[in-house]
Amino acid sequence: MPESDVVAAAKERLEQSGLPSNWLDIPVHWGVKAKEQATPENGGLRFEYLNVDIYGEVPEHWDNNTEIPRGAIPDTRTEQMGYSIFSKSEVWSDLCAGLYEDAIADRWNSSADIPWESLAPIGSDLERAVCQIATLISEYAWTKAQTTGRWLQEISYGYIEVKLFLGTVVFDGARLYEVWRKRALANGGGLGRGGRNWKFLPLTQSYTFSEFCVASVMHDAMLIALLRHGEQLAQTEAERKIYELCQKDIERHLAYFVDHMRYLMLREPERREEVHRYLNKAEWYLAKDGDDTLYSALGVIMGDGREGAEEAMADVAELRREQVETYLGYLRECHLGDREDRLNEELRKWAGIMPAEEVEKIPI
Amino acid sequence: MVTADKLDELQLEPEVPELDLSWLNLDTEWGVSAEPGRKGLTLQQINKSLYGDIPATSEDNSARPRGAAPPEGAAPRMTPWVLGDATETFSESAGLLYDEAVSRQWSSATDIPWDTMDELPEDIERAMAQLCTSLTEVEFIAGDVPGKWLPRIAADHFESGLFLMSQVMDEARHTDVFRKRALANGGGLLLQGGGGGLRQILEAEDFTQMSSMLHILGEGFVQSLFRLGELIAHNEAEKRIFRLAAQDESRHVAYGVTHLKYTLENDPEKAEEVHWTLDMFENSTVDPDQVNPGLAGALVYLLGDGDVDEGWRLFWHVRRKQVLEYLHRLDVAGLGGRLESGRLHPALAGALDES
Repeated sequence: MPESDVVAAAKERLEQSGLPSNWLDIPVHWGVKAKEQATPENGGLRFEYLNVDIYGEVPEHWDNNTEIPRGAIPDTRTEQMGYSIFSKSEVWSDLCAGLYEDAIADRWNSSADIPWESLAPIGSDLERAVCQIATLISEYAWTKAQTTGRWLQEISYGYIEVKLFLGTVVFDGARLYEVWRKRALANGGGLGRGGRNWKFLPLTQSYTFSEFCVASVMHDAMLIALLRHGEQLAQTEAERKIYELCQKDIERHLAYFVDHMRYLMLREPERREEVHRYLNKAEWYLAKDGDDTLYSALGVIMGDGREGAEEAMADVAELRREQVETYLGYLRECHLGDREDRLNEELRKWAGIMPAEEVEKIPI
Repeated sequence: MVTADKLDELQLEPEVPELDLSWLNLDTEWGVSAEPGRKGLTLQQINKSLYGDIPATSEDNSARPRGAAPPEGAAPRMTPWVLGDATETFSESAGLLYDEAVSRQWSSATDIPWDTMDELPEDIERAMAQLCTSLTEVEFIAGDVPGKWLPRIAADHFESGLFLMSQVMDEARHTDVFRKRALANGGGLLLQGGGGGLRQILEAEDFTQMSSMLHILGEGFVQSLFRLGELIAHNEAEKRIFRLAAQDESRHVAYGVTHLKYTLENDPEKAEEVHWTLDMFENSTVDPDQVNPGLAGALVYLLGDGDVDEGWRLFWHVRRKQVLEYLHRLDVAGLGGRLESGRLHPALAGALDES
């Protein structure tokens, strides 16, 4: 029987039984076979390989406020679902689908993949310092996962790749939270003192997704610069592994946030000043927070105890300078290289950059 | 005159942070340690001493981890409102379910044997593509919902937060794997589902009401269906998809059941509210205006492998199992008696009569 007759016969059988058959009437994009690319050398059936034919057309503006999959045929009876983001420029990065698959391929388990048996007594000052840092990173992870999660209900299916990737950010945030909690509770130290965390308000208060993204660039950049010092800071093999695995996760998040902001700056350059406003706010809160327990704890670790902490603060200052430089480096990748001229005065001091008004006086 | 290449020389020394060692003398618990067990170092193993004391009520709306000392000086409210009462979100099993979720993550790219999908007859391929179109929609909303609630989970009840974060990940993978199946073998995405009560889950403004709809009824029905995936699948790839997705759904259902149990044990007056929610959601599930036409037709067609009469027979077998398992879950949660009291929607009660 020809194929079309097979479908017609199926339709007839369904109708005779009183079952809906309209799904057999619709025009289909027959013949899209993503499985053909699913080879082990290609990493299996990755999401990128689905984006062929109409299914790969990511619209500049998505005009459907339901959960309809991109490429499916709408049912006009469906209620509106309350999404608020319908603009590609507000969320998009070409990297999303690949980063989503990478996140899954790189998955790890804090229970089993950390050599916890390598933990050993390290002296009470060092243990307290490690636990203080663990407490503060846990707080950021919690905030990050919560605030990322809340954007899911805002983004429409048109940008499904973004939502899938953000799902991995939420899950990575959970793991970042619990692996550091475990470290604090595994070796006798216990949790330290919570941070004041005014600095996280730009994340929790953001009104637009891009505002959230650019604040995330700042916080993730500060964290990644710290994690890159894992070899120097880790007291045991377990911590070394924690630093390494967390670093990989945060690198992925930054890759998305940065690429999205670059996309936004190229597509909507008129939003540059608006984005600088968000950065003004994020930097101001960071600087004003004045919560130095992180840097003091780093001083104790780098000084190998409280006695050496004072002397080690010069090294801590260098690490904090690297954090600000890392942040500015990511902003340059976002096509926001002009930020250095507008950097918050307090952060300029952290980075050893001359005050802006002094720089202006220099004849060049 | 300073030239541009000399600017680097104007780099200043970075400011040195102030050293404050007061945090070295905190009044937090010292000496609590944990040994990894058979499954490594799980959340259960670190829930010791004061760190394992779960407050019935939390007034902390910051991100401070349970058991940490409060910060010095003023700290801001991190979210407008937090569900501080444990009866709102807590489940005794949340930590365990989170640990299990982490250890059972899978990849739709590499853990599904996509190469086992041979060409299917056009009617079967279309039916499977239609089923997967409907399922990717359902799973899409199932990921949005926990995301919406995350900012309202108290850090003192972080186990529930971590579980919901793992659910967001699971639902992303389900959204992805059913989209992949629809696009993998020539079928494509077909007709949108028409709602089917999904909005009621999204718009709920009470966590327990939401969880009763999403975890117990909605995902419960989906789990029962996936567990019968052998009846629908035509190749090893599809069997594996249903099996792995069912495993994830089991965790979500378990969270919903244990959360409702905890809530009803500690706040029995909530029972009528949940009954009322289920009255409403059961109605949406079977309301002809809301039923997903593609899902129902495609499912019957696949169950009968093209034989619609046989498909109908198996459909009622599936529906009967869905309803029985749903009632059992409610019993376990402490909300039994919906069938006996005549409260179960007649269309669902009727499924139990089918031979």
